[in-house]
Amino acid sequence: MASLTGSAVSVSAPVMRRIKATNGASSLNSVSFFGQKRSFSSSARLSISCAAKQETVDKVCEIVRKQLAIAGDTPVTGESKFSELGADSLDTVEIVMGLEESFDISVDESSAQEIATVKDAAEMIDKLIACK
Amino acid sequence: MAYRVALRPELFLSFSSPPSKNNSGRRMAPIRVSMAATVDTKVETQKKPFSPPREVHVQVTHSMPPQKIEMFKSLESWAETNILPLLKPVEKCWQPQDFLPEPSSDEFYDEIKEIRLRAKEIPDDYYVCLVGDMITEEALPTYQTMLNTLDGVRDETGASLTSWAIWTRAWTAEENRHGDLLNKYLYLSGRVDMKMIEKTIQYLIGSGMDPRTENNPYLGFIYTSFQERATFISHGNTARHAKEYGDLKLAQLCGMIAADEKRHETAYTKITEKLFELDPDGTILALEDMMRKKISMPAHLMYDGVDDNLFEHFSMVAQRLGVYTAKDYADILDFLVARWKVGDLTGLSGEGAKAQEYVCTLAARIRRLEERAQSRASKERRNKAFSWIYGREVQLK
Repeated sequence: MASLTGSAVSVSAPVMRRIKATNGASSLNSVSFFGQKRSFSSSARLSISCAAKQETVDKVCEIVRKQLAIAGDTPVTGESKFSELGADSLDTVEIVMGLEESFDISVDESSAQEIATVKDAAEMIDKLIACK
Repeated sequence: MAYRVALRPELFLSFSSPPSKNNSGRRMAPIRVSMAATVDTKVETQKKPFSPPREVHVQVTHSMPPQKIEMFKSLESWAETNILPLLKPVEKCWQPQDFLPEPSSDEFYDEIKEIRLRAKEIPDDYYVCLVGDMITEEALPTYQTMLNTLDGVRDETGASLTSWAIWTRAWTAEENRHGDLLNKYLYLSGRVDMKMIEKTIQYLIGSGMDPRTENNPYLGFIYTSFQERATFISHGNTARHAKEYGDLKLAQLCGMIAADEKRHETAYTKITEKLFELDPDGTILALEDMMRKKISMPAHLMYDGVDDNLFEHFSMVAQRLGVYTAKDYADILDFLVARWKVGDLTGLSGEGAKAQEYVCTLAARIRRLEERAQSRASKERRNKAFSWIYGREVQLK
């Protein structure tokens, strides 16, 4: 089950991000989900269609804010991109490490690669927790 | 992508940015390439066959403000007194022949036989490391070039009499013996495919390298300080291993090379120490810059016409054997921070203080990253064939 979800994450994420890049609108998420739905089994479909919980997003924002020492008046939201917040490759790994510790999950390298925004991280975390 | 590299510390620490084979950066995200092919109608263009890697980053030039060039001119007499004495007079230098069979002697053939007998006792993975080191040394033209890209200290004519130019030529001459010695030894050993090695060297010199020193001697001397220590550690380790394998002659020659590198490290760290004294703010910013960009290894563009990830594979073997590791990278940084008393710097600007903080805490972060990667590394063994050893396989991890 975990491996199926894992592969689902790594397959869906690049498609999501590619579409995001060309259109810049995150609402296309749902379009890409449905577009890909045909190729997945029903159990994978269930885990993909959940968006991140606000609680998770908030916790991720907090961790990111701490890691990158972001000033209180600078906004950090689900849409925030790690690179735009000033994270270098070392920061990104440390953020993932912080998320692992905080949520008691284990992130594999290929999933970690696909994380570009706070929302990406939160969605991945929720999926991993659901699979535990 | 840099993040993925970061989870594999030997890559994180080996590359400033991953080399690309074509403009689309094929190597950077293979997963995305295949997804694009299946979902989109556009297909990734095939990379050209047998093309060596190229630097991917934008190549920045002349980042040092021109007024600082004057400072280096005014340091010429200081360099003459403090740096040139660290060169060894040619008459006092060892030459490769000192460690090789004497051609005019009757014992020549027997001495070669001895080398080959001892060499048989040494495993392939050691040779992969030694060959990688030798190829690095043989790309010397690239390093002399790199030193001569630096503003304020370059050899303007090829025979300039400034202290800096004298240093650069003499340094090059000393280093030249390293490649020569390793080349002849490896040739005689009978353990390695010289043609593939020679091909790799030709590709590498053709590729060159951009360590991102931007014609800036602050960045340049920080880079060389780091590199000389790295190479001192690396050759020191190959010397130690050779001794363990019972080849005392090989151990001795690696040791002599390591001793040279140590002396060169002393010179470059001394120059940088002087820069910290004269311009602490500028120098700490330079150190931060080089560490953020990461110290890329000189041979990171190596290619043998066969393996597209040759440097990555070589690095993994060096990591596994303990010849040069991610831990060494962190240790070198610690050493330099202590050597230059970075923690004690005062009177820094706001940016300078931030840079000081970054540099002083970086080694610990790298170690933590490395520890985590080690504990989570899959225990699954992975082998790879190397053309340098006739296609025989060695263990990568």
